[in-house]
Amino acid sequence: MSGTLETKPLRLSGSQPFTQQSGVYIMIGERTNVAGSPKFAKLVKEGKFEEAVSVARQQVENGANVIDICMDEGMIDGVAAMTRFLQLLASEPEVAKAPFMIDSSKWEVIEAGLKCLQGKGIVNSISLKEGEEKFRKHAATVLKYGAAVVVMAFDEQGQAATYEEKIRICERAYRILVDEVGFPPEDIIFDPNILTVATGMEEHNNYAVDFINATRWIKANLPHAKVSGGVSNISFSFRGNNKVREAMHSAFLYHAIAAGMDMGIVNAGMLEVYEEIEPELKVLVEDVLLNRRPDATERLVEYGETLKAAGAGAATSEKKTEEWRNGTVEERLSHALVKGIDAYIEIDTEEARVNLGRPLLVIEGPLMAGMSVVGDLFGAGKMFLPQVVKSARVMKKAVAHLTPFMEAEKAALEASGQVVKAQGKIVLATVKGDVHDIGKNIVGVVLACNNYEVIDMGVMVSCEKILERAKVEKADVIGLSGLITPSLDEMVHVAREMERQSFKLPLLIGGATTSRAHTAVKIAPHYSQPVVHVLDASRAVPVTTSLLSEDGKAEFVAKHAAEYEAVRKAHSAPRQSVVSLETARARRTPIVWRAEDLAVPAFNGVRVLDNFPLAMLREFIDWSPFFHTWGLKGIYPRILEDQRQGAEAKKIFADANALLDRIIEKNLITARGVYGFFPANAVGDDIELYTNDARGKVLERFHFLRQQANREGNEPCRSLADFIAPKETGLPDSIGGFAVTSGIGLKELCDRFRADNDDYNAIMAEAVADRLAEAFAECLHKRVRDEWGFGLEEKLNPADFIHEKYRGIRPAPGYPACPDHTEKGTLWRLLDVQKNTGMLLTESFAMWPGSSVSGLYFAHPESRYFSVGKIDRDQVADYYKRKGMSVAEVERWLGQNLNYDAAESPLVDEAVPVGAVGK
Amino acid sequence: MWQSERERTPMNTSDQHPLQKILESRIAIIDGAMGTTIRTYGMKEADIRGERFKDSTKDLLNNGDLFSLTQPDMICDIHRRFLEAGADIIETNTFGATSITQSEFFVDDPREHGGRKDPEFYQKIVDDPFLGGLAWEINERSAQQCREWADRVGKATGRQRFVAGAIGPLTVSLSNSPDADDAGFRVVTFDQVKTAYAQQVRALIAGGSDLLLVETIFDSLNAKAALVAIREVFDQDGLAAQGKELPVMISAAVGRGGETMISAQTVEAFWNAVAHVKPLSIGLNCSLGPDLMYPFLEDLADKADVAISCYPNAGLPNPLAETGFDLGPQDMAGYLGDFARGGLINIAGGCCGNTPEHIAAIAKALEGKAPRPLSRIEVSA
Repeated sequence: MSGTLETKPLRLSGSQPFTQQSGVYIMIGERTNVAGSPKFAKLVKEGKFEEAVSVARQQVENGANVIDICMDEGMIDGVAAMTRFLQLLASEPEVAKAPFMIDSSKWEVIEAGLKCLQGKGIVNSISLKEGEEKFRKHAATVLKYGAAVVVMAFDEQGQAATYEEKIRICERAYRILVDEVGFPPEDIIFDPNILTVATGMEEHNNYAVDFINATRWIKANLPHAKVSGGVSNISFSFRGNNKVREAMHSAFLYHAIAAGMDMGIVNAGMLEVYEEIEPELKVLVEDVLLNRRPDATERLVEYGETLKAAGAGAATSEKKTEEWRNGTVEERLSHALVKGIDAYIEIDTEEARVNLGRPLLVIEGPLMAGMSVVGDLFGAGKMFLPQVVKSARVMKKAVAHLTPFMEAEKAALEASGQVVKAQGKIVLATVKGDVHDIGKNIVGVVLACNNYEVIDMGVMVSCEKILERAKVEKADVIGLSGLITPSLDEMVHVAREMERQSFKLPLLIGGATTSRAHTAVKIAPHYSQPVVHVLDASRAVPVTTSLLSEDGKAEFVAKHAAEYEAVRKAHSAPRQSVVSLETARARRTPIVWRAEDLAVPAFNGVRVLDNFPLAMLREFIDWSPFFHTWGLKGIYPRILEDQRQGAEAKKIFADANALLDRIIEKNLITARGVYGFFPANAVGDDIELYTNDARGKVLERFHFLRQQANREGNEPCRSLADFIAPKETGLPDSIGGFAVTSGIGLKELCDRFRADNDDYNAIMAEAVADRLAEAFAECLHKRVRDEWGFGLEEKLNPADFIHEKYRGIRPAPGYPACPDHTEKGTLWRLLDVQKNTGMLLTESFAMWPGSSVSGLYFAHPESRYFSVGKIDRDQVADYYKRKGMSVAEVERWLGQNLNYDAAESPLVDEAVPVGAVGK
Repeated sequence: MWQSERERTPMNTSDQHPLQKILESRIAIIDGAMGTTIRTYGMKEADIRGERFKDSTKDLLNNGDLFSLTQPDMICDIHRRFLEAGADIIETNTFGATSITQSEFFVDDPREHGGRKDPEFYQKIVDDPFLGGLAWEINERSAQQCREWADRVGKATGRQRFVAGAIGPLTVSLSNSPDADDAGFRVVTFDQVKTAYAQQVRALIAGGSDLLLVETIFDSLNAKAALVAIREVFDQDGLAAQGKELPVMISAAVGRGGETMISAQTVEAFWNAVAHVKPLSIGLNCSLGPDLMYPFLEDLADKADVAISCYPNAGLPNPLAETGFDLGPQDMAGYLGDFARGGLINIAGGCCGNTPEHIAAIAKALEGKAPRPLSRIEVSA
């Protein structure tokens, strides 16, 4: 006996694995069977294979575990149709993830199908009909390709109808397969023939029972073998009466599955839920299936007629609402591109075109946005190449829809005498010496799908040929690809030649060994036009589009040049000489801790400042940065008298004050803030904040970084933690925190200006609000110093504030003394900023609304501003543990501060297993 | 009923194979990369051409397999160094030794003249006597060279060494269409690929290979064509009947999501698709460096009930680094040592960027480390 526990499950695969779960029935989609679906048959016969593919996709979406594909029809060339359909499905990632069942009575069709499966499918079917020799040969071939097999209960004498025939043939087939062919028994699926009952012929009455009993016998006696069957056969007598048929299918499956049936071919839409069959119908149906009484058939026929008369013959509807259709047109386009669904792409593209007015805006707007999501997902390892290609094909459909409109637009422009730029043309080649081009081909497909004309020169193409072809074709861009290391030198050579021959085209670089760094450092310097590394196929389109865009090119090129310059700098800059973290800690800011230097705050805890008077803030404004905003360089108030800029400066200063008058008078924006004092002590490079003066319970911890640069002389290696009394001194120190904004209402104000086409005042309002926020921080700092006590003795004028001639500092996370933006998260919790002020932190720890400032207050007389600068691996290795982040996260947030290239040789977490990094 | 289920006929005789025994007792070492090691010898175009290919119209320098014919001393030197570094298994220098891949170096690319590569083109390639003869010669000669040095070093050290006939991924894909207008198009057919592979397999066997290694698989369907070709050669040439089938090793190259890079199959799905071959081993090589490969290797080790091999690149390609790759010998030794501690591997070595020094460091790090247990592997569902 083999119990369910020891039975090996059926394991199959498409691009994803499928493992049979014990006791769970395997659903086989049967709509892609020309015999079972007239709609599918019609599509195949008319050569509409792409539409036929959507039938397969629906099957997967409806939950089929395996897709049955059958092309057996007199008018169809089975081998060609099977091959073509499976090759199309291979390019359809959502379908390709499922295993396929190659269903044919013709052996050559089955073999053609097997040649298209990258995964492990099922052959349906082989049998002993033509004798043992052929059976053996076919089975060995199926095994050679690595598929499971359906074995029909047929032999030289014909189809097994009775229980005895079924089990005799199945056992014989099993022995040959397992003992002689070496077929894995768990991959054998018997189909002991589900034959039609209730035909009126008495000898047919026990067919269902025979199948069920044969199933039970096979599962008990042929270890690991599986049982399947074509379920809809059972109810063939009741064609046209779907209500009865659905009930019969459900009841039959209920009993057959209980006996061990593993899977079956059935239209999921033609299936009633067993528990929901009307009790009376259920009894009648089971009487027939289980052959419980001689008049069972008549009784069911009779009942069926009354049902029909009552008009209840309609089938359960196959209906699935597609929720994503409810989104905005941008969301729908993005969804369609990411999922590779082309069903609605033309309708949605048209809607976007009407909304946006110009076809090009649809491409450069929502479509490009969607493709860039695709690129991001691919870059993150969440989408795979075939899916990217599929997305590109959907993109192509969208572009194809827009093309006539673009042509009409072009014609209109030409008619009005304007010069029209032709569609972009790209010459692609794998460089001399390299034969690899599968990746380049994919880039070609993706570009072609985006309406570029792609001239693919193939592999091993010499520099001369590439450049000559580019000239002849008047190409807009040249793309070079290479997989092996020597190709990199060839790419440098091409770049040099392009410079020598005074080419003006951008050059794209791609391929597995190429990199942004190599392109920036080794290739780009040889050519004065843009040389851009394209990481993968998904990035090819945005890069090319930017390079060929009339409006966007200059900006892209400038940004790109700056980026590559930075890469080159980072690469060539000698690494800063650093000391170990241990040494750096030993060189901490030398402070002699004395109780009299420690300020005691007027209160502990948080205070909210709502609707803070703007007039008061005005007094604290530092105007110099305001002029910088407007591109005027100089110090207020001297700038007002500047020979060259003075007049302009005076004008905007007057405008700013006029606007400020209005804002204050009419309360157009609101200033709101929160601040607090907390008992604190330093522990290592962290600062612990306590819930109360007993200092027993830690409320929050700030984590600071320490300078590691090896400086001349006695310069200490500073950390903000140095400015709070260490815990071991036993001295009660304190720290302050704040978050203020003057941006509430700002957006509405700017929107109103823009609605009146007054961009000038919109920008002015933002500039003024920024100043008010900074003034708020300064003003609040004054109050904090007063509440710490020492501020009351200050005798300072506004200029002194600007020069920060007071005791203490207010460093902000994200600035040089504390470059880690994520520390803002701690501050937000500490002060409950969101609740108290409405200010939010974005994912990247930026503050919303703009015109916001936050930071910490340090009171010690020795505290001062500094820049952490470069830190080394040992500090990152220490810091990630203190922060409870992964190394990768820390390296991401502190990228600018790393004294090593994290991408070249990342540090590995000790806390997580090797390999989990980058997952 | 259980006892009546006879053991199925295995695809190979790996049960009796001496390497199988080694894999149960220790981690076997496979050699490093041929291509990147060749480059350290500073060979020039004239060196690879020699007298024989001096009139070739295309550049041949990166057709590294040809070196086995034109610079056998250098290639044998590399084999020897890998063996002396401690490799139990060395690979033949035949990664691209098929008529299809060789055609890239010897046949005009129709795309240069506005044509295209399609099954008609490749039919001529697989029927081409020059390409077929060349492919045969490279495979046979390279296997003979490996055989000679494996036996020499084996004898000298008293430790048997094995020659794995290397079967690469080809320069064409059976899973992907390069035609923007037709996702169902393929440049080549399954049978053409199978024919090219079968020729390579026969020559590798003729040259004295101990094993067949289908490697750097980024297109699972290409790999399946190679495995079907191997099966057919075994059957048609009587190796199956004589019990002389060679053990088969299978190794895939996966991307950052753990998928075969072109056909996007996950490792478990891939294992399901090739398990029927009953290979000696399954594993991962090339593409990602060892750290990024780890989770997918773990996944594979969890599902497959055969030996697990792992020979990653020396990190990611880094054209700015001295060796072209990130990791040095000690780095690789460290990573593979971790894999061994995790009980994941039976065969270890290196792919691109791994020199004999890398292999020596890996061999040293894995000495005395227990292999993944083979006898009591339970496969999780």
